[in-house]
Amino acid sequence: MIINEKIIPEVLAVAMSGGADFAEIFAQRSRTNSINYLGGKIDNISDNVISGVGVRAFIGTKTVYASTTDISREGLLRCAESVAAAMGESRKTALSNIVLTPTAVNNAHTVKTYPSDVETKVKADILRSACSAAKEYDSLISQCTGTYLDVDRTILVANTEGLLVTDRKIRTRLIVSAVASRDGENQSGMCGPGAGMGMEFFDTISPEETGKHAARQAITNLKADYCPAGQMTVAIENGFGGVIFHEACGHSLEATQVGVGMSEMCGKLGQKIANEKITAIDDGTIVNGWGSSNIDDEGNPTQRNVLIENGILKNYMIDRLGSRRMGMPMTGNSRRQNYGFEPTSRMTNTFIDNGSDKNEDIIASIEYGLYAKEMGGGSVNPLTGAFNFAVKEGYIVRNGKICEPVRGASLIGTGSQILEDIDMVGQNLATGQGMCGSSSGNVPTDVGQPLIRVSKITVGGR
Amino acid sequence: MNFEKAREILISAAKAAELTEYEIYYIQSESVAAETLKDEISSFSSSVEGGISFRCISNGKMGYASSELFEKEEMEALVKRAISNAENMDGDDVPEIFRGSESYPKPTHKAPADISAATLKEVALELQKKTYGESEYVADGTQSGAFVSKMDVALSNSYGLELRNTLGTCGSYVQAVINRNGEAESEFKLCEGFEGEKYDSMSKRAVEGALEKLGATEVDSGKYDIVFSAKEMKSMLSTFSSVFSGKMAHEGLSLLAGKVGEKIAADCITIVDDPMREGSSMQTSFDGEGVATYRKNVIENGVLKTLLYDLATAKKVGVVSTGNGHRGSYTSPVSIAPYNFYIKGGEKTREELMAGVEKGIYITELKGLHAGANAVTGDFSIESAGFLIENGKLGRAVKSFTVAGNFFEMLRSIEDISSNVDFSFGSLTSFGSPDALVRNMSVAGK
Repeated sequence: MIINEKIIPEVLAVAMSGGADFAEIFAQRSRTNSINYLGGKIDNISDNVISGVGVRAFIGTKTVYASTTDISREGLLRCAESVAAAMGESRKTALSNIVLTPTAVNNAHTVKTYPSDVETKVKADILRSACSAAKEYDSLISQCTGTYLDVDRTILVANTEGLLVTDRKIRTRLIVSAVASRDGENQSGMCGPGAGMGMEFFDTISPEETGKHAARQAITNLKADYCPAGQMTVAIENGFGGVIFHEACGHSLEATQVGVGMSEMCGKLGQKIANEKITAIDDGTIVNGWGSSNIDDEGNPTQRNVLIENGILKNYMIDRLGSRRMGMPMTGNSRRQNYGFEPTSRMTNTFIDNGSDKNEDIIASIEYGLYAKEMGGGSVNPLTGAFNFAVKEGYIVRNGKICEPVRGASLIGTGSQILEDIDMVGQNLATGQGMCGSSSGNVPTDVGQPLIRVSKITVGGR
Repeated sequence: MNFEKAREILISAAKAAELTEYEIYYIQSESVAAETLKDEISSFSSSVEGGISFRCISNGKMGYASSELFEKEEMEALVKRAISNAENMDGDDVPEIFRGSESYPKPTHKAPADISAATLKEVALELQKKTYGESEYVADGTQSGAFVSKMDVALSNSYGLELRNTLGTCGSYVQAVINRNGEAESEFKLCEGFEGEKYDSMSKRAVEGALEKLGATEVDSGKYDIVFSAKEMKSMLSTFSSVFSGKMAHEGLSLLAGKVGEKIAADCITIVDDPMREGSSMQTSFDGEGVATYRKNVIENGVLKTLLYDLATAKKVGVVSTGNGHRGSYTSPVSIAPYNFYIKGGEKTREELMAGVEKGIYITELKGLHAGANAVTGDFSIESAGFLIENGKLGRAVKSFTVAGNFFEMLRSIEDISSNVDFSFGSLTSFGSPDALVRNMSVAGK
């Protein structure tokens, strides 16, 4: 029990006493272990317990949120009282009839070995072997940094509709960055697989391969020339390449933006917004997915939501506030980094589905362009749809053949335009793991796609 | 349980575990914020957060653990976890719990003001009203807000060092959204405090800024002379600030390794780290290890004078700590970071700086720096927006292009800077910069 459940009705009643029509309590306890490797050794170990509560109340579409690390009865009542006081409406007598019905969560994301049952030494050894493999890959590898991470997050959500539910989510990740140096110049490579799994995740990936992958990329970049600048046809590979949809379109489909008219996708439901080859899905139910959970941070079950089907906009990603603003049902997308953040609609595992084009045809169709084998992060302005993201590993394509590597490229454009310009969609769907930062903090999100072709996009280079 | 009680339990648990060198680091923070949508307060939030970090030297190695759960058993477990984590370190570092500096500078910043919830709501509503009044094109989605935050930092160690700092800030912002004939744009403006010229003109500047972007066109790819606005040059400095870390240099992750005493930037560049900068509301007299902070020129007239150090790295490379052993939070171990890190202003006004540019771009927005810039290589390729400069004068708005280069090359080739320095605020690490003119940079557009 992460807070005393007996006092929840009282806390909710106090939160309602400012004239609210709905109140919710979110409690969290997480244990986070991260181990960092640098300079051929374990450089530091972080071991943190995150514990706190957030209380939220609504009147219509107005919200008040208060959070605290003081989880004593007095602390929680003080937190609820501050919510009621800030509502600023005429005070009502506290409700006395809030009845909570505990709801059991059917755990779809089985964990075999909990990180808390495994000694730190075992975790450190996983990281060591990954980083050593990177360092030994090539004599040009001058440095390797790495992070082992496990998060064990338990949440409780209760609200004045009678909901009382708890969930526990485990996630694990290994990130290796390698640096290759020559003649006073550095280039880097990175690989960072993760999953909503326990320690068994490290049996499904090879730490050594993760290290080698990062090293190979650093060496490739060291031997590459700068990417030329200008507009060209670009093929973007599967996996983390899906960041293109996440930035170019995903954020613009979040109720956070749509509900207040701050998205270029407002009012376009049922309209054709993308090339008919595009079907895009946000699915928080993928078993052991990096962005999955049984329930969202408002206690609603996660769902598989088809966002775009054959180019037609089918749905947005909607939290409770967004649901009230937009008059549409919630979609199980409400997320927050921790109790300190008011939740909002966020992506979970978001991807472009497999299409009908053969991968070899996509490359063969490009006379001159860029093959973006691996992508880095990016950002977007949802109002205008203007987005950017970095290419971590790229190659020039000439006469339908992948040729020499190029480095330092970025891709920019606008969401509505690129959705039309994705004119070939391949068949090797895969996902990649990232952390997405937005108003409710950093949350783990999966991105994904098969190989796609963008007929024309601005490539930043020099 | 408060900090004093938690500290008491930690100390007795440390003694029971026969630890002789340990440190307790504590942060308690409070914040309140109000935000508007249309003509009413749409959200109001407050938070009270606190956490404690315990670190100790066990068998010659440093171990950390932190918690937000102020309970007796948890505090006792914290000591055990820190010892166990120390065991798993490899450690060629010689860890150190600091005995204390001879003296510490005295902060001159005012104690954080007590600002009521009612004041925050009033400020947000007033700004929102002003913003809507600026233009008929202001659209829904426009938001104004006001916030206040306070932080209490305490450091206490086995050598009897007891340090405490209370700091805080308040501020307000406007996110103006405009829509003219179906074309939407937005502009965000932020200012510290709720008075003064910057505050009074914020709504106007936000709306004008958004309106000026309307009709922005693309540019042809090619080489341009670039003037980075002070705000964006400051972001650039922040993005690449880790290259000044002595640890990154020692580990081969900064290309500034071995360059102290060498000319690495243009003559006009002096970069200062001034933790007690006059006018800053976030002055700090001690770093995350208890070392006294002080002002230093990191780059002076283009010459690299020093890198930044914490205790462990300083010992390893045979220098002394520069008081830059930073704790971002109780959850993070000591790392190296500057406090008030800024490029000193020059002589010229912005207009004078642009006067010498025949064909160039004034860049007012750099986006996605976290992704498009790499501190290890220095390379960047960044989505940008701004205005053309033609014959020394600002021209039409331009967007959807990238500017690409290398930070280290750019430092050397900055031709001149303006006198106005824009500072960030609100966190222990803040940055500042004037406008900067760099010739002949690569731009990718049409």
